[in-house]
Amino acid sequence: MRKQELLAVILVVVFSIGTVATVIIYKIATRDPQRIELLARAPEKGNWSPKTITVKSGEKITLVIKNVDTATHGFYLPAYNLVLTDIKAGEFREVTFTPRKKGQFNFLCSVWCSDYHMHMRGELIVE
Amino acid sequence: MKNFAYIIFLALVSFIFLGCEKKPELSGELVGDQRTIEIIAKRYAYTPEVINVNEGETVVLKLISDDVTHGFYLDGYEKGFFVHPGETKVMGFKANMAGRFSFRCSVTCGDFHPYMIGHLRVIPNNRYHAGIFLVVLLGIASIAWSCKKQRNNENKLFGVIPLDWRFELTKYKPIRKMFKSRWFPFIFILINFFIFMVILISSFVGSFSSGNYNFGVMITWVLWWVLLMTLFVPLIGRFWCMVCPFPLVGDWLQRGKLLAVGKHKSRGLNKKWPKKFRNLWPVTMILFVATFFSGFFTVKPFATFVLLSIIILGAIVIALIYEKRTFCLYVCPVSGFQGLYANFSAAEVRVKDPEVCALHQTKTCYTGNEQGYGCPWLELPFDLNRNTYCGMCMECFKSCSHDNMAFNIRPFGTDLLAERRRTDDVNNRRGLDEAFKSLTMIGILFAFFLTMQGPHGWLKDMVRVTNLHGYGLYLVGYTIFNFLLVPGLFFLVSYLSKLASGNKEVSLKQVFIDFSYCLIPIGIARWAAFSFGVILPNGSYLLNILSDPFSLGWNLFGTANFPWTPIFTGSIPYLQTITLLIGLAFSLEYGYKFARKIYADEKEAKRGWIPMLVFLVSLSVFFLWLFEG
Repeated sequence: MRKQELLAVILVVVFSIGTVATVIIYKIATRDPQRIELLARAPEKGNWSPKTITVKSGEKITLVIKNVDTATHGFYLPAYNLVLTDIKAGEFREVTFTPRKKGQFNFLCSVWCSDYHMHMRGELIVE
Repeated sequence: MKNFAYIIFLALVSFIFLGCEKKPELSGELVGDQRTIEIIAKRYAYTPEVINVNEGETVVLKLISDDVTHGFYLDGYEKGFFVHPGETKVMGFKANMAGRFSFRCSVTCGDFHPYMIGHLRVIPNNRYHAGIFLVVLLGIASIAWSCKKQRNNENKLFGVIPLDWRFELTKYKPIRKMFKSRWFPFIFILINFFIFMVILISSFVGSFSSGNYNFGVMITWVLWWVLLMTLFVPLIGRFWCMVCPFPLVGDWLQRGKLLAVGKHKSRGLNKKWPKKFRNLWPVTMILFVATFFSGFFTVKPFATFVLLSIIILGAIVIALIYEKRTFCLYVCPVSGFQGLYANFSAAEVRVKDPEVCALHQTKTCYTGNEQGYGCPWLELPFDLNRNTYCGMCMECFKSCSHDNMAFNIRPFGTDLLAERRRTDDVNNRRGLDEAFKSLTMIGILFAFFLTMQGPHGWLKDMVRVTNLHGYGLYLVGYTIFNFLLVPGLFFLVSYLSKLASGNKEVSLKQVFIDFSYCLIPIGIARWAAFSFGVILPNGSYLLNILSDPFSLGWNLFGTANFPWTPIFTGSIPYLQTITLLIGLAFSLEYGYKFARKIYADEKEAKRGWIPMLVFLVSLSVFFLWLFEG
């Protein structure tokens, strides 16, 4: 019975602390400088996050656009003619490209998402 | 006074029947056989909320969005389209199926997106009329049946199944061995502990996302709730209490052991719950107040996180202050209806042979021994005859030194007739607390259906607190409906029943309480009927969230991007009619048995039964109207 009790305690610890730890470790372990996470939210709910993305010219990057909002958004980067339309709530969308033009470029939401839709814009800085 | 009461009652009944029969106004413009209807979609309703067309017409819908991207999916016809703001989109179809169909938003548009619903009525609504016909027919058949009933049928369900029929599941050795193992049901509690850990984490990290793509919200309110209401409660009663992970930590702290048998006396303060509150009143009120926030819990991940955290912390704190499973018995919000409805379920934990218990002096099932704890639910297992407060924790199987416990399958609802045997047990009888639990569950469902599956945008705005004034109004209306209107009506019916019977001795309170138990079968049926409207449209989200529980971009089963797919939503009205009819059949069957118990002789019982029967039939018609009228 003592062994079984110990097993039960271990299971409870693994299931509670272990689950939390796994998620945190996974997040740290899968960090990749080439993959840039971009949260899409309506301006009154936090806007693009991060609002400014800095990348090096000539280096391939992958933007992972996560719509963590409750309405449909889109991603539009006019300078590179990149359009991802209809990114639905809860959806993750990826786009890979190599920025070569240097400068500061706006990216914006391409789907009317809220009364403040026009303010939903961010900046891509290519150095 | 007497005539006055009859008049009110008849007026109400005819009001329900006539109200359900109101001729609806047709929508849009008819040119030739083409009906063109403009629909404006705006968070979280369509204008018009209800569309009425004639069968056979060609319907052309023009959809316009007033705020964000919205969709439109029509149940039954299985047609859909979506529209961006600033566009107008057109969809046509031939209305060749009659009945009421829900149409719902198909593109996530905000928190309340799953509740953005409108109704299309294709007239004549034959399905609904057939439903009413069947309900009334069932009522008439029940009268005829009870008039014909032979004396020897009284202890049988529908005159066929003997009420004392039992099938002992634990007579099979492997099952009994499993029930006696300390790992059962502990292993299931552990699995649920893990699942709820994931729910907590996901509802916390995904706290700003939409609820329909959140693991916590979907598992709790779509999977768990629906399983609870359609399978667990109707079939096995308090099955969830058996495998619920929330008391795990509290039990551990009290006993000092997780799995093995540790201290029998709690290491906490071990106080006794006040006598006044040893009934269903506390849980009835806690659930009722919790439903004030139904506009948040089921749609916002963070609200789900807060609710679950409060319940988990509450369970731990109560376990440290009070004895044993006081939390489960008198505090847990979902304990009340599970306990009450468990009296209807087809499973029970009971003593095999009462004579063995009579000779057994030490009553280890109550005091505990080295094999198991004394009943954590504060029942006396050797004397158990009602399911309300039995949590099916299976400790008595372990602690009984004579192997005298049994897990039985039984005919539905036999506990509804059971009176608590022990006279000293003042807190475990049929009482007003249980009656009110039954009665408030009517109003809670009414409010839930209207906010979650109804077409009214103004009500949804009130519930999700767009302004405090509207929310306040909703709360006042909701409380009056639950605690005055419904119980008042039931009181009136009880009064009429007593009048009609001609019996002067029986107390009105007794009539009120005893008849309240015939609300249980239709109560369970109506909650199951409601749950079909939760799982079938929203079930496909489960595939998304199972593949990516923490919104980290995982795709464990390859279904993370599975599109929203309503499953057989056209069948919901049929399922609801069937479920309501089954519930009503049980209610009528048991109702007459209650009448026989309440009133002295058969003639009185028959006369006293009529008002209650009319009430039950009207109540079923009312819910039929709500679901499909």
